[in-house]
Amino acid sequence: MLDERELAISPIVQSSVQHNAQTISNIRNLTASLFGVAAGTLGLESYPGFIFYLIGSFVVSTLIFALRAEGKPSEYFHQPLGDLWGGDVVSGLSSFVLTWTLFYGLVRA
Amino acid sequence: MTLLSTSLNALGLLLLTHAVYSAHEHTTLTPTSPSTTSLSAKLPFDITLELLSSVLLICIGVVLASPDLKPIQWSKWAGKLEREGRKEVREGEIQEGNPYLQLEVRKGFLDIREKRKEFADWVRKGATSLS
Repeated sequence: MLDERELAISPIVQSSVQHNAQTISNIRNLTASLFGVAAGTLGLESYPGFIFYLIGSFVVSTLIFALRAEGKPSEYFHQPLGDLWGGDVVSGLSSFVLTWTLFYGLVRA
Repeated sequence: MTLLSTSLNALGLLLLTHAVYSAHEHTTLTPTSPSTTSLSAKLPFDITLELLSSVLLICIGVVLASPDLKPIQWSKWAGKLEREGRKEVREGEIQEGNPYLQLEVRKGFLDIREKRKEFADWVRKGATSLS
């Protein structure tokens, strides 16, 4: 009830929300493959690889926070925790595993 | 900003290629035995450092190359648009202008006396030219 009233007082621009989500998704997809290359070349296996991905995603989130959102994520995201820090982390996991296994095989062989 | 991000990306990709190639050479040149368990244990430190720094460089480049985020609150968004003024709309882009433009730019009242005078002049001129 309170949230609805708040939205009525300060409405949200839908096209901006979509644009921001698209930008974050693009960055995540690009960097996920990149982390896969790094993890495969380093020869990480099982849990260390996933931990590497999580750390990398956190670094990218911090970069977005500092460089793109200028330290004010609530101005650009409806839910800063879910959209900026955790946005599209899971969807990037598949491309991460793809390049991870590919480069692991390429370098190891 | 675009020059900076492009150069960062180029440098990062160069370093990354070199690091991956070095790692590949290292694994082909060192004899592998069943006793060696993990690759990361014997990958030289400089290759690891080069790889991680190149990844960081590309990450910064990618984030810098991404388009600017737009404020989601209507007041800030509209205020920003109004401050920046109306931009040229290119093909395929979502058209975004000042949302209050139709309220701000309106025609004034019609000057009915001026129009009537113009019409009368036109009628008089037409009448003389016809006769």
